[in-house]
Amino acid sequence: MNAFGLIQICLILSSSTIISSLQCNHLPLQQSKVIENSLRLLDKMGKKFPQQCLKEKMSFRFPTQVLQLRQKETVGVAIEEIFQHIFYIFSQNLTLAAWDGKALDQFQNGLYLQIEQLEACVIKKYTQHLWSKEVRRLKLKKYFQKIDCFLKDKQHDLCSWEISRAEMRRCLQLIDKMTRKLKN
Amino acid sequence: MVPEHLAQIGPPGLELQSTDGVIKVKVSPPEANQRNKMWIDDLSFKYNLVFWENSSHPQLQSKNIFPVDTIDDLAEDSTYCFKVQANLPLEAKQGFFSPVSCVKTTQKANDLLCATNLSVVALNMKFHLLWNNQEEQEVNYNVQYLYGFQKMLNDDYSDKWPSVPGCENITSTCCNFSSIITNMGFYYLRVQASKGHNKSCLSREIKVDPLRTNGIGPPGVRLDLSDTLLHILISPPGGPEDQVMRDNYDLSYRILYWKNSSDKEEEVKQKEVKQTIATVADVSPSTLYCVKVQAFSEAYNKSGAYSQQECIHTPAGTPLPLIIFGIFMGALLVVLLVATPFVFVLYQAYTKIKYVFFPSCQPPLNIEGFGAEPFSSPYLSAAEEPVENCCVIESMITEEGNQIDFTDYKHSKHSSRDSGNYSNDNNSSESKGSKETLEKEIV
Repeated sequence: MNAFGLIQICLILSSSTIISSLQCNHLPLQQSKVIENSLRLLDKMGKKFPQQCLKEKMSFRFPTQVLQLRQKETVGVAIEEIFQHIFYIFSQNLTLAAWDGKALDQFQNGLYLQIEQLEACVIKKYTQHLWSKEVRRLKLKKYFQKIDCFLKDKQHDLCSWEISRAEMRRCLQLIDKMTRKLKN
Repeated sequence: MVPEHLAQIGPPGLELQSTDGVIKVKVSPPEANQRNKMWIDDLSFKYNLVFWENSSHPQLQSKNIFPVDTIDDLAEDSTYCFKVQANLPLEAKQGFFSPVSCVKTTQKANDLLCATNLSVVALNMKFHLLWNNQEEQEVNYNVQYLYGFQKMLNDDYSDKWPSVPGCENITSTCCNFSSIITNMGFYYLRVQASKGHNKSCLSREIKVDPLRTNGIGPPGVRLDLSDTLLHILISPPGGPEDQVMRDNYDLSYRILYWKNSSDKEEEVKQKEVKQTIATVADVSPSTLYCVKVQAFSEAYNKSGAYSQQECIHTPAGTPLPLIIFGIFMGALLVVLLVATPFVFVLYQAYTKIKYVFFPSCQPPLNIEGFGAEPFSSPYLSAAEEPVENCCVIESMITEEGNQIDFTDYKHSKHSSRDSGNYSNDNNSSESKGSKETLEKEIV
């Protein structure tokens, strides 16, 4: 690749950084608020974990290696993917969960906002290409597929939903911890 | 071999519907009815619609659309062709295009009933929707809303928009929709206009991103003075009871302050703070200071309106030497008032003690009997009596045998002048004492 080509790439990357940073200054603040509110809504939408579901509890093992990413850009894409997975899970058949519809709608709306904003703010092609080949990403996908399969196997009954809700709560708390660390 | 790295995204399904001058598009995800899917999360697909007007030189337009969407701004009575592809940005993959599908647009019904020019006005998280009424007659409006995420879902929500509470059957062209707004995500709003039972029309949709659309109101300002410090007390916009503004925007405050003098132009100074209390040090005495404050959010790149101007007059200051002199005189006075009686009391105590225990007057040593018991001497110091020359009067009373010999008395009188200093025995002193008294009487 000649020098001119390199300069072009650098210019594109730097300009995209400038553009995205101008529009995206609010992102860290917004994200911390969304996570904070999401945790609150997760608690609000249902009652206390039912005793009868304790025996069905599963260990899903969230891949914490994903949270040890160094580059800020890759972290943004990773969080976008996690939010996307959580959003998909909570858009399934929730009839048997019997949760508060309004709280659920707000929860989904907050997640969706973050997904959209992260997509708009993260340097697209370069970072996404890197992230798509990331090994830790496959572990992340496996984790969420496990939860999805668990729900489908249990036919989306109350206990499977309650267990999934508790798991998602844990997941959001880990993300919150990571973003706070990055902020400091 | 990682299947996900090799797998490709198949073509999505495409349905078109031409109504009222617009084209309604419905996309079904790839692998829609498949049992075993490669791409399980079909909500993460981003659909790219490519369309063009069927003419000799077609101009391709590209647009990102939702699974259920509407294409407007099309020419009437024209044939348009569409094709769509499903992309997964996180996989860095672009899918295959669907087969091309063409449809003709209808005539636009110029319905004056529809609400137009929808706009949102928001201040301190209080939201209002405003629109125009093209009809002269009275029209009933029903304002409806949708959560932003619901457009991402594959279901058709076109008919499932709930109504905004309080704006269900209104005739005004304004709606307060603050009740449905939260800081979690964005919303869509539309107005359904109806007249009677038959006719109704849906307006265009408007997207509302609450935190971006919202305006920051002016903060409250109160001034206070202490010594040479000016305290500026700020109450955040939205009032003390409402934490929404502070929580979501991470507000900072820009303070402008200046000396308000009629004769000359004073420089306006600026100060930025994060807290709701600011202090300006070293204010000049006897000056009118004016302040106004603006709240702003650095994160959202938003500034609010300035507060009302508040002014305060600093008191006349006392010059420093005068203050020092005043303090000195005061201290001096205190010292005098306290120390003087104390010294006086001490002195009195000293003199008393000295008088009692260490008397200054010593008696002469040659005086006899000093130091003997008191009251041993019967002689008291008597005042010298005035003695005049006197003569002895011969006794007039003559009684037989009782002649008193006065010659003796002369002697005794003489001797009586020296009385007091002689110590006599008791008998003679008695008789002499009585004779003295007799003589005194005679004299």
